Amino acid sequence: MNKKYKNTVGPRRAAAYIVLIILTFFCLIWFYVLFINTTQSNSALKYGFTAVPGNYLFKNMYNLFHGPTPVLQGMLNSFIIAALSAVLCTYFSTMTAYAIHAYSFKGKKAIFTFILAIMMIPTQVTALGFIRLMNTMRLNDSFIPLIIPSIAAPITFFYMKQYMDSNLPGSLIEAARIDGAGEFRIFNSIVIPLMKPAIAVQGIFTFVASWNNYFIPNLILSDKMKKTLPIMIAELRGSDWKTFDMGQVYAMITFAIFPVIIVYLILSKYIIGGVTAGGVKE
Amino acid sequence: MAGSTGSKAASGRDKIKSYNKYGYLFLIPFAVVFVIFQLIPLVQTIYYSFFENYRSGLKMIGPNFIGLENYKTLFQSGDFLIYFKNTMIMWVLGFVPQILVSLLLAAWFTDVSLRLKGQRFFKTVIYLPNLIMASAFSMLFFTLFGDIGPINSILVSLGLISGPYKFMSHVWSVRGLVALMNFLMWFGNTTILLMAGMMGIDKSLFEAAEVDGATSGQIFRKVTLPLLKPIFIYVLITSLIGGLQMFDVPQILTNGSGDPNRTSMTLVMYLNKHLFSKNYGMAGALSVILLIITGILSLIVFRATMKDED
Amino acid sequence: MATVSLQHIEKIYPAAEGGKKKKKKEPEKKNNLKVTEQGVVAVDDFNLEIADQEFIVLVGPSGCGKSTTLRMVAGLEEITNGDLYIDGKRMNGVESKDRDISMVFQNYALYPHLTVRQNLEFPLKLRKMPKAEMDKRVEHAADILGITQYLDRKPKALSGGQRQRVAIGRAIVREPKVLLMDEPLSNLDAKLRNQMRAEIIKLHQQIKTTFIYVTHDQTEAMTLGDRIVIMKDGVIQQVGTPQEVYDHPINTFVAGFIGVPQMNFYDGSLIRQGDQYSVSVGEAVIPLSAEKSARLAEKGISEGSVTVGIRPEHISLAEAPGRMLEGTVDVSEMMGASIHLHVSTMGCDSIIVVPTLNLQSGMDVSIGARIHFTFAGNAVHVFDRESGENLELD
Repeated sequence: MNKKYKNTVGPRRAAAYIVLIILTFFCLIWFYVLFINTTQSNSALKYGFTAVPGNYLFKNMYNLFHGPTPVLQGMLNSFIIAALSAVLCTYFSTMTAYAIHAYSFKGKKAIFTFILAIMMIPTQVTALGFIRLMNTMRLNDSFIPLIIPSIAAPITFFYMKQYMDSNLPGSLIEAARIDGAGEFRIFNSIVIPLMKPAIAVQGIFTFVASWNNYFIPNLILSDKMKKTLPIMIAELRGSDWKTFDMGQVYAMITFAIFPVIIVYLILSKYIIGGVTAGGVKE
Repeated sequence: MAGSTGSKAASGRDKIKSYNKYGYLFLIPFAVVFVIFQLIPLVQTIYYSFFENYRSGLKMIGPNFIGLENYKTLFQSGDFLIYFKNTMIMWVLGFVPQILVSLLLAAWFTDVSLRLKGQRFFKTVIYLPNLIMASAFSMLFFTLFGDIGPINSILVSLGLISGPYKFMSHVWSVRGLVALMNFLMWFGNTTILLMAGMMGIDKSLFEAAEVDGATSGQIFRKVTLPLLKPIFIYVLITSLIGGLQMFDVPQILTNGSGDPNRTSMTLVMYLNKHLFSKNYGMAGALSVILLIITGILSLIVFRATMKDED
Repeated sequence: MATVSLQHIEKIYPAAEGGKKKKKKEPEKKNNLKVTEQGVVAVDDFNLEIADQEFIVLVGPSGCGKSTTLRMVAGLEEITNGDLYIDGKRMNGVESKDRDISMVFQNYALYPHLTVRQNLEFPLKLRKMPKAEMDKRVEHAADILGITQYLDRKPKALSGGQRQRVAIGRAIVREPKVLLMDEPLSNLDAKLRNQMRAEIIKLHQQIKTTFIYVTHDQTEAMTLGDRIVIMKDGVIQQVGTPQEVYDHPINTFVAGFIGVPQMNFYDGSLIRQGDQYSVSVGEAVIPLSAEKSARLAEKGISEGSVTVGIRPEHISLAEAPGRMLEGTVDVSEMMGASIHLHVSTMGCDSIIVVPTLNLQSGMDVSIGARIHFTFAGNAVHVFDRESGENLELD
C-alpha cells in the first residue's frame, strides 16, 4: 500500500507542476509582451518582436500624456467613479444587510428573497430604460448614473449578510443597546468597524468592476473630458490605428492595465481569500 | 432558549419603542436606488418592447403600439438566432477548457498528499487576468495578434508559418481568440470556487474511502465529483449567464463589427448597436428575451441549491 | 441598588407569524409549553419580589423561560402581560438604556474592534460622563476584576476568563441599579468556572447591587443565590434559599433538579398509625421523623401510594439484612472523598454516595456485589404519586 502510494505521487506531482507552469506562462506572457513593447519605439516595433526591453518607455509615456486623448483625465474620471462606487456600495450594502440581519419586521423574508431573486438580472437588460430615464432626468454625461446605482448591489448585500451571520452575534447589538447606544450609533460605531474585512474585500471587487466597466459608461458619457479609460481604449480601437505610433498604443494599454495589476499584487491575499469565502457560502 | 424574533402584540402604551422600525429605515437607501435605477428602467424596457420606436435619418418614428411585432421581426429576420448561436459557440469554446482545467487544478491544490509548493503564487497568477480591464485586454490581443503584431513576427521567425496569419479575418481564429480570453479571465476564479467547495467536504470521507482501498482517481470520481454537484451547477449557470452578457471582449476585438461577416457578433453587441442607433423598440424586445432566458437559468440555480439543502 | 418587582409577568410568542414553519418543526418540540389562542406561552404568570442588593438566581432546564424572563427585565424582550417595577417605577414601556440596568452575556459580547479600556468606557461615553470621572470608574472596575494590565489590549488577545471579566467590568462601570447575568460562566472550562463563581460572590459583596443571574447549572444556583427561582416550562416551580429548596423541594421536579447526584425516587406507600407516619419501600419500612409526621398529620394526609425520594448522600449501607433495601452494584465510581454506587434495586436504578471514610473494611461494593442499604426517617421526602407534589408542603 505504502509503496504504491509513493509510486503515484511522484509523477502526479511532476504533472501538476508542468501544467501549472504552462498555465502561468499563458497567464503572464501577454503582460510581458505588453511591457516589452511599451518600451520600444514605433520603428523598432515594426521591425519585429524582441525579448529584451528597449529604452522608449518614458518617451512613449510622455507622448501618450501629450497626445490627443486626455488619458490622465480619463484615469482620474475612472478613479473618481470607481472609488465613490466602492465606498457607497459597501456602506449601503452593509446597511441593507444589517436591516435584514438585525431586525424582525413584517415582510422581511419576502424582501430577502426578492433581493436574492434580482441578483441575477444583468445590467444590460435594463440598459434601454436606464439610458432613456437618465436622459429624461438630464443625467446623461454625468457621473451620477455610474455611481449612485451601486448603492443597490444585491451580490454585495448577500456577501455582507453571510458575513454578518457568522461574525455579528445578536448579543453584541443588545449589549450596545443596554450600554445606551442608539441604532444609528450602533451601526456606525459597532457594525461598520466589525465588518471591515468584508468591506475591504467587497470594496476591492466593486472598485475593479467599476474601473473596468465599459458598457453603461459608454452609453452615458459623451463629453470627451468625462470619458473613462475603457471608453478611451475602445475609441483607440475604433480610430485609424494603423497610422498611430504603436509605442503609444501599447503605452495606453499599459496605462489601463498596470495600475490594477500593481494594486492586485499588493492586495492579492485578501482578494483570493474573499473569493474563497464567498464560494464556501454558495 | 427562545429567540428574540417576533416580539409583538403588546398593549399600546406598554410597548418599548420598537427597534424593528429601523429595519425599514435602513432599507430605504437600497429601495429608493433600486426603484429609480433598476425597477423603473426594467419596466420601461419591457414597455418599449411593445412599441415601434426608432430613428430614421434625423426623425424619430413612434412610439406607436405594435404589440409583439418587434419580437416577430427579431425572430423572423434570423439575426437573433445567429447572434445567439455565436454567443453560445464562443461561450462553449471557453467554458469547456475552463471547467476541465479548473477541476484539475482544484483537485491538485486540495490534494494534501501532493504537497504542492508555491500554491499562493500560482493562485495569485491564475486569478490575475480576472481583474484586468476586459476592453484593454482585448485591445492588447488585437495588437498582439495583428497582421504585423508580435505573435505573427514570433511565429514567422520560428519558421512555423511562412507569412503573417490574418487572425482577424478568419471565423474560427476570431472566435478562438475570444474564447481564449474568456478562458484566461475566468479559469482562476472557477478554480478557487471549486477549491472552496472541495475543502468544504468532510475530510473523513476521503480517509474512509482510502481505508476502503480506493485509488485517488476513484476517490475523485466517486466521492469528490458527486459532492461537488451543487457548486458545479452554480459555476455552470452563472458562467452561462455571464456568457450571454458577453460584450467587452468581442466588441473591442472586432471594433463592434462582429467580423468576419458578423460571425463573432454577440447578443449584447447587437443590443448595443440598437441602443446606439436609437432603435428602442427592437432593443426592448431583445432585452426582454435576454431577461427571460436569464430568469429561467437563475431558477435552475435556485432549484439546484435548494435541492441540496433538503 | 434597587428592588425589582415582577407581577404576573407573561411572555407569549404569537404562533401566527411563520406558522407554516413552526408546524414543520412541531414533532421535534421537546418542552411542554402551554399553547393558548394567542400563541406559545414562554413565561406564565411570573411573580417575584426582589429585595435591594439581593442575589437572585433563575435556574431550570433549557427552554424553561428563565432567559426570556431576564430579557424582559432587560428590556430586550417585550412584556406581553403583567407589570415590571424597578425601584417602584413601572418599566414595561421603558427602553433598555433608560432602565439603569446592565447585562453580562454568555458569549461576552465584547466589541472586538475596541480595546478593553474602550470597551469599559463605551457605556460611560454614551452618557457623556466627564473624562476624569470616567477614568476613575474604569480604573476602579479594572482593579476590582484584576484586569488593569490588560486595559490596552483587544479582546481577541485575552483568554476566555479574562474576556468574561471585561464583560463584567463593562457591566459594573455604570454602577447600575440591577446587574443581569445570562449564563455568564457557560463558555468557560470547569476549573475557571469554579474560580469565577467565587469571584462573582466577592463582587456582589463589594458592589452592593441587585443581581439577577440565569443559569441551567444547579451548582451555580446553589452556591451563588441568596434565593433561587426554579423554573420549568415557563412556570415558577419554587422560590427559596438554597437550603430551603434542598431540604424541602416542592415537587419531584425540584427534588430531582437540585442536588448532585440526583435524588432517588421509589414507588412506595405511606402508612399512618395515629400521628406517626412511616413509608414502606420494598421490604423496608422506615418511620418518619416526628417533625415530618407532624406536618403530614396537620395536613390530614391519609395512607396510600406515594413516591418516596431519598438523596444519594442520605443513604447508608448496612451489613445486616432484614427490613432493608437490597440491590446489585452495577457501576462503582471512585470520586476520591466518596464512592458513587449505581445500584439496581426493585427494577430501577439508585445512586448511593458512600463517603470513603465510612466504608467499613470488609464490605464488598465491587461490581456485581449484593448490598443492603437504608436511610433515616428525617431524610425521606414524600411526594404524591400522581401530581408529584411534596405532601409535607402546602
